[in-house]
Amino acid sequence: MSAFYDYVRGRSDVIPQGYTEPGMRVYRYLVYLGASQMVEAHYPKVKAELGDEAWRTLIEEFVRQSQWTSNYYGDLKDEFLTFLARESA
Amino acid sequence: MAGLGYRRDMADWDMSAVRADFFEVVPENWVHRNRDPLHRLIQSGRPVQLHGVSLNLGGTSDIQPTFLRDVCELMDDLGTKHYSDHLAASGDAHQLHDLFPIPFTVAEVARVSDRIRYVQDILGCRIGIENSTWYTNIGDMPEADFLAAVAERSDCNILLDINNIAVNYKNHHKHQHVHDIAEFIARVDRSRISYMHVAGHEFDERFGMYIDTHSQPVAADTVQAALQLHRLHGIPILLEWDNDVPDMDTINQELACLRFMTM
Repeated sequence: MSAFYDYVRGRSDVIPQGYTEPGMRVYRYLVYLGASQMVEAHYPKVKAELGDEAWRTLIEEFVRQSQWTSNYYGDLKDEFLTFLARESA
Repeated sequence: MAGLGYRRDMADWDMSAVRADFFEVVPENWVHRNRDPLHRLIQSGRPVQLHGVSLNLGGTSDIQPTFLRDVCELMDDLGTKHYSDHLAASGDAHQLHDLFPIPFTVAEVARVSDRIRYVQDILGCRIGIENSTWYTNIGDMPEADFLAAVAERSDCNILLDINNIAVNYKNHHKHQHVHDIAEFIARVDRSRISYMHVAGHEFDERFGMYIDTHSQPVAADTVQAALQLHRLHGIPILLEWDNDVPDMDTINQELACLRFMTM
């Protein structure tokens, strides 16, 4: 299943065998949307200051690197801080 | 019997005016939180049940006992035996906070059933599994047969989501063999169905697919199928509306459509 989740995270653009391209794009979009909405809810100024394009690039990278473990969606705000610290190190 | 998914958007509503007989909440949103609103619902004589989103039954990460302890504590606090999650993955070995398809294969039936049994052993009760929306999947079993086989092998309940059956049928019937609502229901052991979900969905031109948005009124065929199952077998129906939540009057109208014929 790693090919499936590599596509979902944006690590690969290869459609995994047996799956459809539109369906895979839906899953990639839904994960991006979930991450974007939660981070924006906690750090609205970041999005306002970055602008739409830089925001999209940042969240896509956040998702691409993701190794989230918490069951709680709200904990993405902490994962995002860890990601930023890692990126700026 | 008509229930309603209780959401934070409803925090300011006078819930005594909402014509629901029971409620459902996402446990992940209420662990370690102030539960006064939920206790007020229970005090009004209407039970609150749990429907989770992060159990990752289809994934490969270890199911965390600490999380199950949180759920167990919440079940005790709310006095409910109803805890369900999706027959789906919420990620691989990590969480991605969405719901992904489990390949419809015999091997996955065995693997996922073992994970469900593990959860049930720790909680000390049956859980429910919901048939999920999927936008693409692999495997040689029909979805209904996969659901039925997992429920049988793990001895769990089924939370039958009629809207998800409708969305999957609309999205996939032109390209592969999927069952319509009536055919799907016929292949599932009705004695395992704890209750039903209904919700709305919409077409998204970007993907050329119907998306399970829970942001619209319930489609007529979904309402009819749910009402028929209720009339014949007394199975309760619960309305989910999670995005673009409308005003209370609109919710009450939707509930009235589900209640009128079920009284």
